[in-house]
Amino acid sequence: MATTSRSSLKRYYDVNGWLFVAPAIALISLFMLYPIARSLVLSLYSGRGMMLKFSGTGNLVRLWNDPVFWQALQNTVIFFIIQVPIMITMALILAAMLNNPKLRFSGLFRTMIFLPCVASLVAYSILFKSMFSLDGVVNNTLLTIGIIGEPIGWLTDPFWAKVLIIIAITWRWTGYNMIFYLAALQNIDRSLYEAAKIDGVPSWGRFAFLTIPMLKPVILFTTITSTIGTLQLFDEVYNFTEGTGGPANSTLTLSLYIYNLTFRFMPSFGYAATVSYVIVLMVAVLSFLQFYAARERR
Amino acid sequence: MDYSRAFKRSISATVAGAALLCSTAAFAGEVTIWCWDPNFNVAIMKEAAARYTAKNPDTTFNIVDFAKADVEQKLQTGLASGMTDTLPDIVLIEDYGAQKYLQSFPGSFAALTDKIDYSGFAKYKVDLMTLEGQVYGVPFDSGVTGLYYRTDYLEQAGYKASDMENLTWDRFIEIGKDVKAKTGHEMMALDSNDGGLIRIMMQSGGQWYFNEDGSLNITGNAALKAALETQARIVNEGVAKPTSGWNDGISALTSGDVASVLMGVWITGTVKSQADQAGKWALTAIPKLNIEGATAASNLGGSSWYVLEASAEKDEAIDFLNEIYAKDLDFYQKILTERGAVGSLLAARTGEAYQKPDEFFGGQTVWQNFADWLVQVPAVNYGIFTNELDTAVTANFPALLKGTPVDEVLKAIEDQAATQIQ
Repeated sequence: MATTSRSSLKRYYDVNGWLFVAPAIALISLFMLYPIARSLVLSLYSGRGMMLKFSGTGNLVRLWNDPVFWQALQNTVIFFIIQVPIMITMALILAAMLNNPKLRFSGLFRTMIFLPCVASLVAYSILFKSMFSLDGVVNNTLLTIGIIGEPIGWLTDPFWAKVLIIIAITWRWTGYNMIFYLAALQNIDRSLYEAAKIDGVPSWGRFAFLTIPMLKPVILFTTITSTIGTLQLFDEVYNFTEGTGGPANSTLTLSLYIYNLTFRFMPSFGYAATVSYVIVLMVAVLSFLQFYAARERR
Repeated sequence: MDYSRAFKRSISATVAGAALLCSTAAFAGEVTIWCWDPNFNVAIMKEAAARYTAKNPDTTFNIVDFAKADVEQKLQTGLASGMTDTLPDIVLIEDYGAQKYLQSFPGSFAALTDKIDYSGFAKYKVDLMTLEGQVYGVPFDSGVTGLYYRTDYLEQAGYKASDMENLTWDRFIEIGKDVKAKTGHEMMALDSNDGGLIRIMMQSGGQWYFNEDGSLNITGNAALKAALETQARIVNEGVAKPTSGWNDGISALTSGDVASVLMGVWITGTVKSQADQAGKWALTAIPKLNIEGATAASNLGGSSWYVLEASAEKDEAIDFLNEIYAKDLDFYQKILTERGAVGSLLAARTGEAYQKPDEFFGGQTVWQNFADWLVQVPAVNYGIFTNELDTAVTANFPALLKGTPVDEVLKAIEDQAATQIQ
């Protein structure tokens, strides 16, 4: 055929090929590249609403001196450091358990654990809020069992509010990550496990030295997507705290802070763009570190 | 092909099309309005629109109902992007945000100084929509505050209606402790994450987060200091039931959990929504702060109508607001009776509806009370950063509960606010 005989250089100059991808390139440029470039320019401007003036590094100085930004950053990092490992570990353990071919009703269990991540976000937020309110079912149960002496202020105490957010996002996203592990586990040859079993490797050893190394690429993938997800955490906090990130800014995340800077406070589009680039930078650095840690060593 | 003829033809078609559009616009414009709360603002606007179309049958109205946050977000996005054709002709803006919009999007709203007689409206409402000598917007609902309380709970605790007159906050807390001890009900619901109560108390003391010139007024603000101390006492002495978020607070009120609620007049409809509680409620003025110049009148929330400068139906929209909201006294009687809306048109305060006793409140003439308090509300400068300051106050309030001296807390609020307001 004609096309196969062409050199790659000729293919490069083939107008037809370019025409085919032109609509996609145009759309990507218009809706992705342009906004990214424009927001970078915007981050150099400051001012109220549309009264923008060029300020160079002014927004960076403001960022450095802004206690609320540091609080939001700290909260985001806390969510990230505590929540992602808990969720990844739980997802792995659940996947390994549900992968057991002798387990009955495994389809039912898988569906049940996966369901939270397709539940309506607003519905589950409302449900969680009512369950964890001062006289909600969670406090009442804990009181009845005798684990706590007085009701926990899940939504009114700065410490417990953070715990509640972690519980909520873990509940919602564990099943999602579990599905990836399950899919990867199906591809591991059963005979490996049988051989290990015959060699007398206990079940925890098979999990630690067989399952986890085999799943490394998938673990890397889920860790990075979870990192990005947690750094961009917005919906849960917005719905639980009615957009305030309270109590006492204890659940304010960077994304919610950007929202507040743009829509709730005096609109500071330039400053909000600067804060957005902090997230971009963090995601880039963390993803690089994770790739680096998981690289193939020779 | 004759290109010039085709060109000419398309030009003339365009001109004809444009002329057609203009002529239809002049004869029968559609006024688009954005607002929130279907049972209040939207319903009231529909009533106003019906009254206007009765006299001007060619005008049509498109009243769009959004959540308040969505109205603000859409408005802000439209103004920022400059795509004015996505914006409505009239928009409802909450009073705290008015100056923020006027100052950060200059030229976006129509100045109505010569078109509407502002002398008929409550001064504090007109003040907050004035910028550099020009008045924008038409004052609408007032957020004048009152203290609604359960007479049955108070009676069980041994208090009569006369005990609830001329309250101070000290007395209120004392009564609250008694009510809690004798009935098991907290005196009120309180969301410490919401700065509403502090704002009510501060304004009743005649001050705000800002001075007249817009500079921060925190560390030297006696009213704010007293308000913070008072709210901390309310929490620490167990007078309030801690709630989280608006709905939680409302359910504490409607379920009969708490013995009183201190809010803007617009809460009346919610209080009255529980028919089985009829006759068990009464209304009194809010407690006074223990500082000089304190009053028993304040404001919470409240909103006004603004016309967009770029609106194609600008004149029609202004005429509509002027005819109904600035002149139609009968309209105000109707929305008061049907929706519990206390407008800020002073002349509407003498109507028959205001004199009517309300059986839900044991025959009290509650509307007359609100109308009387309305004129006593101290005018303050809401400034442009109320949301920022609210966040700074609620973020530092927990420290006060843990025993940090109030002056240190005020300093922390000022420091946080200083970086936020620029």
